[in-house]
Amino acid sequence: MTSLIRHDLRLLLRQRIAVPTLVLVLILSAAAVWAGMAEVARQHDIIARIKPQQVEDVKAIRAWVSKDGDAGNAAYYTFHATWDAPSPLAFAALGQRDVAPFVLRVRALALESQIHEGENYNAEMALPGRFDWAFVLTYLAPLFLIVLLHDLKSGEREAGRLDFLRVSAVHERALWARRIGLRVGLIAGGLILPLLVGGLLSGAAAADLLLLSTMVLLYLLFWTVLCLLVSRRGMGSVANAATLAASWLTLTLILPALALLAVNGAFPVRQGVELTLAQREAVHSGWDKPKEQTMEAFFRQHPEWRGTKPVEGGFHWKWYFAFQHLGDLSVADQVRAYRHGLEARDLWTERLAFVLPAIGTQYLSHRIARTDLTAQLDYQDRIRAFHKRIRTFYYSYIFNDVPFGAEDFGRAPLWSGDADRR
Amino acid sequence: MNTVRLVAENEWRLMRRSRVAQLALLILIALSVIATLTSIAHRDGNDALRARFQAQADQEFDGQPARHPHRMVHYGHFVFRPLPALAAFDPGVDGFTGSTIFLEGHRQNSANFGDVRQSSLLARFGQLTPAFVLQALAPLVLVFIGFGVVAREREGGTIRLLSAHGVTAQSLIFGKAVALGRVAALMLAPAVAALLWLTLMEGAPVVAALGLGLFYAVYLAAWVLIIVIASSLAREARTALMVLLGLWATTVILVPRIAPDVALTFAPVPTRLETDIAIQRDLRRIGDSHNPDDPHFAAFKARVLKQYGVDRVEDLPVNYRGLLAMEGETLTSRLFDDYAERQFAAERKQGAIVAAFGLVSPAIALRNFSMALSGSDLDGHRRFLKQAEAYRFDIVQRLNRLQAEAVTFGDDSNRNKDPEAGRRVRIDPKNWHDVPDFAYRGATISEKLESALTGAILLLGWLVLTGFGVRIAIRRLEAAL
Repeated sequence: MTSLIRHDLRLLLRQRIAVPTLVLVLILSAAAVWAGMAEVARQHDIIARIKPQQVEDVKAIRAWVSKDGDAGNAAYYTFHATWDAPSPLAFAALGQRDVAPFVLRVRALALESQIHEGENYNAEMALPGRFDWAFVLTYLAPLFLIVLLHDLKSGEREAGRLDFLRVSAVHERALWARRIGLRVGLIAGGLILPLLVGGLLSGAAAADLLLLSTMVLLYLLFWTVLCLLVSRRGMGSVANAATLAASWLTLTLILPALALLAVNGAFPVRQGVELTLAQREAVHSGWDKPKEQTMEAFFRQHPEWRGTKPVEGGFHWKWYFAFQHLGDLSVADQVRAYRHGLEARDLWTERLAFVLPAIGTQYLSHRIARTDLTAQLDYQDRIRAFHKRIRTFYYSYIFNDVPFGAEDFGRAPLWSGDADRR
Repeated sequence: MNTVRLVAENEWRLMRRSRVAQLALLILIALSVIATLTSIAHRDGNDALRARFQAQADQEFDGQPARHPHRMVHYGHFVFRPLPALAAFDPGVDGFTGSTIFLEGHRQNSANFGDVRQSSLLARFGQLTPAFVLQALAPLVLVFIGFGVVAREREGGTIRLLSAHGVTAQSLIFGKAVALGRVAALMLAPAVAALLWLTLMEGAPVVAALGLGLFYAVYLAAWVLIIVIASSLAREARTALMVLLGLWATTVILVPRIAPDVALTFAPVPTRLETDIAIQRDLRRIGDSHNPDDPHFAAFKARVLKQYGVDRVEDLPVNYRGLLAMEGETLTSRLFDDYAERQFAAERKQGAIVAAFGLVSPAIALRNFSMALSGSDLDGHRRFLKQAEAYRFDIVQRLNRLQAEAVTFGDDSNRNKDPEAGRRVRIDPKNWHDVPDFAYRGATISEKLESALTGAILLLGWLVLTGFGVRIAIRRLEAAL
C-alpha cells in the first residue's frame, strides 16, 4: 500500500502544475500566518504601550485635582483605559479588529456617548479585507484544489491512459481514492502545518487547533466532492475547470454578497444613531429640570445614596453625575433594540454558515479566534461592567462628600483585561 | 479589415450558440442589474436618512432653551456626511467610515456608525455593487467565455484552414478581440444605464459619470486583450485557462489584500487613544488652564488687560471667562488640526503605497480611480472630517464669544451662588438660531479628477502594455501558421 502511495506521489510530483501548486499553498498559508502573527504582535504592542501613557496622563490630572481634592473633578477628568487583547488564535482570522477599536478610554460620564467611538483606521486599507490564514483557506484553497483535481480522470482520458489504468489497477476505486487522497492531503497539510506552528508559537489551545484543522478537512472535503461530481459528468478537462471555477465564484463571492444584502436589509440598525441623538437630549435636558426631580429619579436607581446630604446651590457634582446616568438609562430600550439588531445580523450569518461552506469557514474561524461581531459586543459588555465599577467608585466620594486625595487615584478600579471574558 | 469582421462574426455566432457562454453572460448581467438596483436604493435610503437626522439635529440645536453659552458648547452638534449620487455606483469606503460626528467643545470625537462595524463578517466578503461586479466578476466571466478563442482554433487545427482562406494572424487576433469586446460591452451596459440614470435623475456630475464609463471600458478592454493574448500564446486551451485564472486570482483577489498589509507596515498610524493622550500632554505643555500660575495663561491675561487698559479682569468690558474659553479652544483646536494632519499624511502615504500596486494589478488602479470619481474615496471622508472640525471650531468660538459679550463676568462668577445671576447667564435662545447650519461641500470635479489621475494613468498604461502584448502574440501566431 505504502509503495503504491509512493508511486502515485512520484507521478503527482512529475506533473508540471503539481509542485508549483503545492509549494504555493504552503508559501501563501505560511505568509498569511506570519502576517497575522505580525499584526497580533502589533496589537499586543499597542496595548502594552498605552499602559505607561495612561499612567502619565492620570498623574498629570492627579497633580492639580488633589490640591483641593474635589472628587467631581477627578471623576470628570480622569479617563480609564480598557483593552481587548487578541486571543491566541486571532492571527489566523484577524476579522473585525481592524475596523472596531480594541483600546478605548472611558470616564464616569454618560457611557452611550463614549462606547460607540470608532478607531482611527484607514478605510481604504480595510476595504479589500485582510490577508490572513482564514482568507487563504476560504478563497484560495478551493482554487488550488480545483487545479489539482479537475483533470484527474479527464486528463488520463485525454492522454489515452484511462482504459489502461482501469485494466491494470487491481482495485480501480482504491486507485482513485489514493490519488485524490494524496492531493487533498498535501493541500490540507500545506494549510494546517503553518496554522499549527503559528498556534503553538501563540499558545493556542490544542482543542481549538484541532477544531480548525477538522474544519479545513471538512471544507476541502466539500470541494473535493464537488470536483468529483463535476468530473463524473464526463466532460473534458477544460469544461471541468471552467465549471468548477464558476462554482467557486458563486460560492465564495456572489452568494455571500447576496447574503449580506439580504441580512442587512432584513435587520436595519439605525437605532445606533437614534439612540445617541436621544441620549444627548436626555442628558442635557438634565440642566433645565428641577434638581429634586432628577435626584429622586436617580435615587430610585441607586437607593444606597438616598440618605446623603441633599444637593444645594446652582451646581453640584452629585446632581451632574445623576443626570449623566439618567441620560444613559433613558435610552436603554434603544440600546437593547440596537443590540438585538446586531445580534440578529450575526445570528443569520451563523445560520447561513451551515448552508454556505465559505461562510461556514469564515464564521467558525472568526468565532474561534474571537474576532467577530460577537467578540466586539462582548468587549462592549465588559466595558459597560467596568464603567459601572468606575461610576460606583466615584459615587462613594461624591455622595459621601469625601475629598479625593492623591492616593485615591490609585484606588480606582483597574481594567481586568481579559480575565472576565465571557 | 474585412477578415477581421469575418472572424469576429464567426466567433460571435459561436458564442451565441454556446450555452455556457450565454449562461455566464446572463448571470453576470442579472447580477449587475441586481447590484445596480439595490445599490441605488441603498444610497438613496441612506442619504435620505442622513438628511433627516441632520435636519433633526439642526432643529434640536435651534430649539434649545435659554442657557449659559458654555452649556451649548457641551450640548454640541451632530453633523452627517451626505452621500454623493455616484456612491450608488461605487460606494467606496462609505460603509467603512462612520457617517456622523458629534461635535463639542475641547474634544474631537470620531465619525461613528459605519456599516461594516455594524455588520457581521459577511460584510468582509465584499459588497455587491455595480463597481464590484465590473471590477471583480466581469473579468472572470470574460476569462470563462474567452480563454479558448484562439487556443481552440490551434488545438483543433482549424487555424490552418483559416490561414488557407487568407486570414492573417493579425486579423484573427483582432477579430477574436472584437467578438470578446462585444461581450464586454454587454457586461458594461447595465452599468452605463445606471450612470445615465444617476446623471439624469439624481444630478450626478456628467464629467465624472463619463470618466467612469470610459475607464471601466478601458479596464475591460485590457482584460479582453489579456485573454486573447494568453489564448494565442498558450499551446492548449487548458493552459490558457489556468494562466488566466491565476492572473485573475492574483490581481483581483490576492494583491489587493496584500497591498494594505505592506502599506500599514511602512506607514503606521497611532490609535485614537494614544492620539488623545498625546494631545492632552501637548496641551499641558503649551498652557495648563488648571494651573493658576501657568505662564501661557498668565501672559494671555496680561495681554488682555493691556489691550483694554485695565488692571483687573473684573474691570474688563467683556467677560474674561469667555475670552479664556476662546483662547483654550484655539489651543486645543490647533493641536487637533496638527494631529489630524499627521494622520492624514500617514494615510496618504499608505494610499500611495497601495496605488503603486496598481502597477501589478489593474484592479487596484481601477478601484482607486473609481472611488475618486464617485466621491467615495478616503479623500472624501477626510474632506468631511476637516469640514466638520472647522465647523466645530466655528460654532464653539461663536458660543464662547457669546459668553464673552452677552454674559457679564460678575454674573458668570456668581452663577452658582446667586440664583438671579444664574438666571441672567442663560441667554436668549434666539442666539442658537443664529448659529449657521453645517453645509458639507463635496469635492469639485477638478478635485475628483486630480485624485483620479494616478489610477487613470495606470489604466492607460495597462492598455498600452496589453497593446504590446498583442503585437507579440501576433508575431508568435504568424510563426505558428
